[in-house]
Amino acid sequence: MSDLAIDLTGVSKNYTRRFKKPTPALRGVDMRVHRGEVFGLLGPNGAGKSTLVKILMTVIRPTQCKGSILGQRVGHKPTLAKVGYLPEHHSFPGYLTGAQVIDFFGAMTGVPRRERKQRAGELLELVGMSEWSKRKLRSYSKGMRQRVGIAQALINDPDLVLLDEPTDGVDPVGRRDIRKVIERIKDEGRTVFINSHLLTELEAVSDRVAILVKGIVAQQGTIDELTEGQLRYELIVGDSEGAGSLLQRALPEGSRQLALPEGESQLAKRIGFKGLLPTGESIEVAKNTLTIGSDDPKLIQPIIDRVRAEGGVITSVRNVRPSLEDLFMQAVTDPTTGETLKPGAEEGGGR
Amino acid sequence: MSTMLRQTTAMLVDAYRELAAGKLFWVTMLLSLLCVGAFAMVGINETGMTVLWYTIPIDVFNTSVISEPLFYKMIFLNLGIGIWLTWVATVLALVSTSGIFPSLLTGGQIETMLSKPISRWRLFLTKFGTGLVFVALQVTVFCVASVLVIGFRGGSWMPEIFISIPIVLAFFSFLFSIMTVFGMLTRSTIASLLLTILVWFVLFLVNITDNILVQQHEGMKIQVTKLEERLELADENARVMYIATQRREGNDLPDDYPATDDEKYTVNVFLPSLRDRLENRKDMVESLAPWRRGIYFAKTVLPKTSETIGLLGRYAMSKEDLDTLMEMGDGRGKTTVNEETGEVNVAPQELSKASAEVFNNRSVAWVLGTSFGFEAVMLLIAGTMFARRDF
Repeated sequence: MSDLAIDLTGVSKNYTRRFKKPTPALRGVDMRVHRGEVFGLLGPNGAGKSTLVKILMTVIRPTQCKGSILGQRVGHKPTLAKVGYLPEHHSFPGYLTGAQVIDFFGAMTGVPRRERKQRAGELLELVGMSEWSKRKLRSYSKGMRQRVGIAQALINDPDLVLLDEPTDGVDPVGRRDIRKVIERIKDEGRTVFINSHLLTELEAVSDRVAILVKGIVAQQGTIDELTEGQLRYELIVGDSEGAGSLLQRALPEGSRQLALPEGESQLAKRIGFKGLLPTGESIEVAKNTLTIGSDDPKLIQPIIDRVRAEGGVITSVRNVRPSLEDLFMQAVTDPTTGETLKPGAEEGGGR
Repeated sequence: MSTMLRQTTAMLVDAYRELAAGKLFWVTMLLSLLCVGAFAMVGINETGMTVLWYTIPIDVFNTSVISEPLFYKMIFLNLGIGIWLTWVATVLALVSTSGIFPSLLTGGQIETMLSKPISRWRLFLTKFGTGLVFVALQVTVFCVASVLVIGFRGGSWMPEIFISIPIVLAFFSFLFSIMTVFGMLTRSTIASLLLTILVWFVLFLVNITDNILVQQHEGMKIQVTKLEERLELADENARVMYIATQRREGNDLPDDYPATDDEKYTVNVFLPSLRDRLENRKDMVESLAPWRRGIYFAKTVLPKTSETIGLLGRYAMSKEDLDTLMEMGDGRGKTTVNEETGEVNVAPQELSKASAEVFNNRSVAWVLGTSFGFEAVMLLIAGTMFARRDF
């Protein structure tokens, strides 16, 4: 048995419409998801995340796809009996009760009746919907439907669970519950593939992530792997008028300011500074915070000395690791212009 | 139980739940039962028709003319099936089922359904099958209730009425296949329903045209036959009369003298007009034939909704039943020819019988086979769209 739950190479999808130029959604996605891990897929709107998930679930036919899901080729229907799926914009029939929804989709996956009945009760308990199990879905809130949706994705005791925006429309308490459910699924040895916009939540549960930008995987790996070499120092001084200029004056001689686009250069002038140290590390001053793109403590020492010499009050000096949000923003921002990408997977859209 | 069976059972149960959740299903069911209730209220006795405890005396409509079981069977076929199930209940069924495919495609269910271990074609065909559940339930309830009414009220148990279930189901499936194609194309419940009703109306018009042409053609053929018979008789009489006239005038003609037309016209001045009318009718028979063939061809490639329902008459009515109904006319059972003008007055019963024969001679294989062929093409189109589309 392969160690990979999902193994994709060169997955592409062009949406074709009569008399119109094909629109690319995916432009050669390579992705590996290991068995037993929680894998997070993130990317801006229109990057092709849902298209990729739908290709895995045979909802969309790929233009080109080499790869496997649970060891079988993508599109192999019987394999889907071992896969659970929560679509992004699902709408289960309002005339069914929560228990009936779970039972119906369990039967559609081929789960025997007795097993369905037993598991439905357990799953409703797991997602905190036991008391609502006999009520029609039309009386449910968005968050309740989402919980039932997660339960139906687990009715077939799947080896792999794909959750597309699982916390969409769910309140903070619900999000925490769903996060616990995901952790429990992982503890049971299942592979979880999550597609979400909520980066902090993804960061909390994912073992590995992939950032999809314009139809290709821009980055892929564990958060440690992705942030390797990106640790930085952050120095904060007392928030007073002139804190920004104090920090700029404290920069070593030979520091260079980067040329920024017209709009951003005005902003930089007003709030701070973006540039490079003489040794080449990035520096950024925003209001009363100075950030150096290095985890070498020696680089920050002369700056601390100058700030203190000028009478500045240092309130915090810390070594910071980039968050998933930082990684995401890095992936979707043009490093030369600072502009973020426009939605869609077509080339030349924003970069 | 295999996965396939589990999935099919689940989809059928879901279809029932969906129907039962809609008010229209129960309204139609209630109306069906009211219809059977009304059916149970009417009866027939030796003096006329009865409604509950009241008798309406009708000379031509009592048990001496028509037996009680035949009376109920006639009401069941003409009103119960002919009007209620094939028109009113069908429209209600179309309304109820029009959302099946559009809501599947647009309602956010499709992703979950397609992510299950079921092929798109099987999902499509099973979903189509579940659409027939509505009609199957309605017709079954109606037939069971009708059999009970006929059994208890008419004293005759008629299991042959259950043939209505597959026939009405086949009839509805033709329309439902059309609605499925429109549902796939438009993804709109209202649009697919209206377009289907429009196509149904076109089929109805084609059928009406076919009926008119068959009646006209058969009427003309009856006229030709009657005129030929009459002309043969008049021709021979004129020959005999001419020989007799000539003998009276001293010309001794032999008995087998073949008088010319002009000679015959001297004794029967109406013969030319009779001949002209016959030729005229023969021309009309010939001129109608290509139109009839054209409509027949058009119907061959279209679903035959009316003729499918018409099959009920073939199976539920015996020949004796049909003869009894034919004899129930107003006495104008004979076609007559006016001696002077040659005008033929075709008896309605004779015309109905001849037309009915034409329709009965159209084989069941043609009626159902070609209609199911049409349905298969519709399902192939809709199924291919469903199987190839990205959702």
